[in-house]
Amino acid sequence: MIALHDVSFGYAGTERPALSRVNLEFQPGEFSLVCGATGSGKSTLLRILNGLAPHFTGGSLSGSLVIDGEDVTGSKPHELASLVGFVNQQPESSFVSDTVKQELVYGMEQLGFKRDKMTDLLKHVAKLLEIENLLDRPLSWLSGGQQQRVAIASALAAGQKILLLDEPTSALDPEAAAEIVGVLKSLAHQHGITVILVEHRIERVIELVDSVVIVANDGLVTKGGYEQFENYHLVPPVIGLSTELSWSPITVSVSAAKDNWNQSPGSWKPLVNEHLSEAVAMDVKDLSVSYEELDAVSKVSFKVHTGEVVALMGKNGSGKSSVLWAIQGGGKRSTGSVKTQFGDPKSLSAAERLCVLTLVPQKAADLLFLNSLADELSESDKFAQLTDSGTSKIFESLTGRLDPKIHPRDLSAGQQLALVLALQLVKGAGILLLDEPTRGLDYAAKRSLAKQIRALRKEGKSVLVASHDVEFVALVADRVLELESGKLVSDKLAADALGVGASHPTQISQITGVPGLLTLSQVEAVQK
Amino acid sequence: MAKRFTASAASPLSWWLLAITMAVVAGVSQSALTQILVCSASLIAILMFREEAPWSRSVKFYLFLAGFVVIARVLFRIAFNIQNPEDTTALNLPGFSINLGFGPPVELFGAVSVEALSSGATDGLRLAAIILSIGMASSLANPRTLLKSTPSALYEIASAISVAINLAPQMISSLQRVRKARSLRGRSKGLGSMAGTVIPVLEDAIDSSLSLAASMDSRGFGRRGNLSKSLVLAARLSSLMAVGFLSVGSFALLVGQTQTLGWVFIAIGIFATFASIRINSKSQIRTRFEPVKLQFFDALILSLSALLLIAAILGWFE
Repeated sequence: MIALHDVSFGYAGTERPALSRVNLEFQPGEFSLVCGATGSGKSTLLRILNGLAPHFTGGSLSGSLVIDGEDVTGSKPHELASLVGFVNQQPESSFVSDTVKQELVYGMEQLGFKRDKMTDLLKHVAKLLEIENLLDRPLSWLSGGQQQRVAIASALAAGQKILLLDEPTSALDPEAAAEIVGVLKSLAHQHGITVILVEHRIERVIELVDSVVIVANDGLVTKGGYEQFENYHLVPPVIGLSTELSWSPITVSVSAAKDNWNQSPGSWKPLVNEHLSEAVAMDVKDLSVSYEELDAVSKVSFKVHTGEVVALMGKNGSGKSSVLWAIQGGGKRSTGSVKTQFGDPKSLSAAERLCVLTLVPQKAADLLFLNSLADELSESDKFAQLTDSGTSKIFESLTGRLDPKIHPRDLSAGQQLALVLALQLVKGAGILLLDEPTRGLDYAAKRSLAKQIRALRKEGKSVLVASHDVEFVALVADRVLELESGKLVSDKLAADALGVGASHPTQISQITGVPGLLTLSQVEAVQK
Repeated sequence: MAKRFTASAASPLSWWLLAITMAVVAGVSQSALTQILVCSASLIAILMFREEAPWSRSVKFYLFLAGFVVIARVLFRIAFNIQNPEDTTALNLPGFSINLGFGPPVELFGAVSVEALSSGATDGLRLAAIILSIGMASSLANPRTLLKSTPSALYEIASAISVAINLAPQMISSLQRVRKARSLRGRSKGLGSMAGTVIPVLEDAIDSSLSLAASMDSRGFGRRGNLSKSLVLAARLSSLMAVGFLSVGSFALLVGQTQTLGWVFIAIGIFATFASIRINSKSQIRTRFEPVKLQFFDALILSLSALLLIAAILGWFE
């Protein structure tokens, strides 16, 4: 269906090629996963397949691209539109219409389909993606999962045989993500569509895909099966466990790993419950947030102790962000109070709050605005009235030393987050609020963020982190709060909330079935 | 109670046409009354018809810009003051004379006449009226729907247009997010902090506009059939003529010295536009699932625009 011959790609102004001499083939009806570190050429690879690279991204392309037996090297995206459907990371940013129906027919209109044919195809694709009952809805009313379905449907409406998706589940909670991945599998295996998916969170798709493409940082690309994950560092816990215990062949599915574990369970150490302070750092009482007619948060009360990491979990739209912003004081708060050592943050000025608590928003890069790392760090010192370079000390303790001349936008997502943490903590805030910090981070970056958070905890900071990333939460949290439609429905120790029998167990607890065993780091490696 | 009309009851093209007509009226008119009428009509339309949408949050920005232009114009008149002995003096400020080392010395301030003040205010009001009428269109017209109705004749610049049309509303929502983020760093939300917000806001707005354009292109926007080489050349020439004559024509009208020539140029420009669209649509393959129907509200807006345009040509506003 698709063949790439000796394809190389480089962006202008960089020496390192994003992709170098790539030879790949994809069969009709193949479901393929493309993975690689953040900043590797995996998105570029996807964009080459429909002409967005180089026509929209810039850069230079060599080699040839054959789709459906035809050499289409150098074609523009609209010339490939009838063959290839493309779905972006954020569907809402690519919608062109007001209602679902208009959005679905948009592509067919551009390709000049007759009305009758459009009606037929519209029905067909709506049925395929199970969105028949949404056709007359405005796009802005849809949930994240529904939006993603509409985006996929509109990419396939004109009968495209190839579907490309760039991190389609990154903004979705686990349930919605699992549904979308199931839909993709049936598109490939029952309807013969070639589905190529770029995804960071391998565990969400790994059991369903036919092949794996790995894009290395030097631009080399390999395609094959699961065996590629041996000695690969960006893997989910299930594969990590397989490697640690030297299972052969490598195990990627939770159910296969379960069997292996039952045959020869590994040894493990219990969770170390470091002594928790009894002192309350933050006391949230009856917090409510309502926007016009919608109650986003209703009467939420909880405490966070000194030196404790608390995770706030829940589906998209359950009110996690609203809770964080309402606590911080910059967001809307309808009723309720937050008690800290220095009073309620709502009553403090923006600058005073930074001495008490600090919030890192979903798009951490919004907080950066100068042209070099050095400028950001020294501006921060000046703002905090520090004479020594306190900000760089925090930053270096988080990530190590980096070239001070580098532009903050050129840092990796993980390094940007560390920089923002340093800037936000320099005034000595004891309470840290994090909103979905793992979005867009690969496994390695997530692990290093978890380490940073644990280090801050050791210094006595209290952390409240909103996330629906179960594995990440298991690495950092002492306690887990769960929100459902704005209400606090559970408040448990991490071992209970993420362990055996919980509603969202970690992969390791699913595999081992051992209470108190949550993360890979607890399992002791077996030498080969 | 009858259903209230909101902005989306009419096509975005109608809003833009009305806005352009109002801007033309404001441009040709010499009377302050007309300018004030145009300003208030724009504001009333925004307040009456706007919907809860990201692009309708830009009103404050346009109002600020309009106010700034009026004040700047008047201040300019006071500072760079050309005195005419026949005028009545309104303000008697001490005059300065600055010698720049070349040319005659520059006279600043001095006795400011009523006439200078009022002509400064009228000039400022004219620009303000144009700004507000464009502001009306961009607050009321859904940029995405407008983009969808872009004739494929304009394809050669369509990607650029799609980025541009989407940029202003996108910038406003980016601005709101970045300001919120900045307040997290304890920085003020005031105007002084604008410098720091420009980079992230622009970057964000351009990124998202580009991603929209990329998505449209991926779905076939810009597809066309084949045209012979000579037709392609003719289409390009007529597009070029259209843009050229329309700009020179509007300039002539705004400057006000050569009204007839201005109208002639605009007429040629409009003719060239139609020619270009006509030739290009031969290569058009785009179809419509639901044919665009002229709504009652559209008809109302379009006839209002036509009336305004005729009145402007007949010189009622001068």
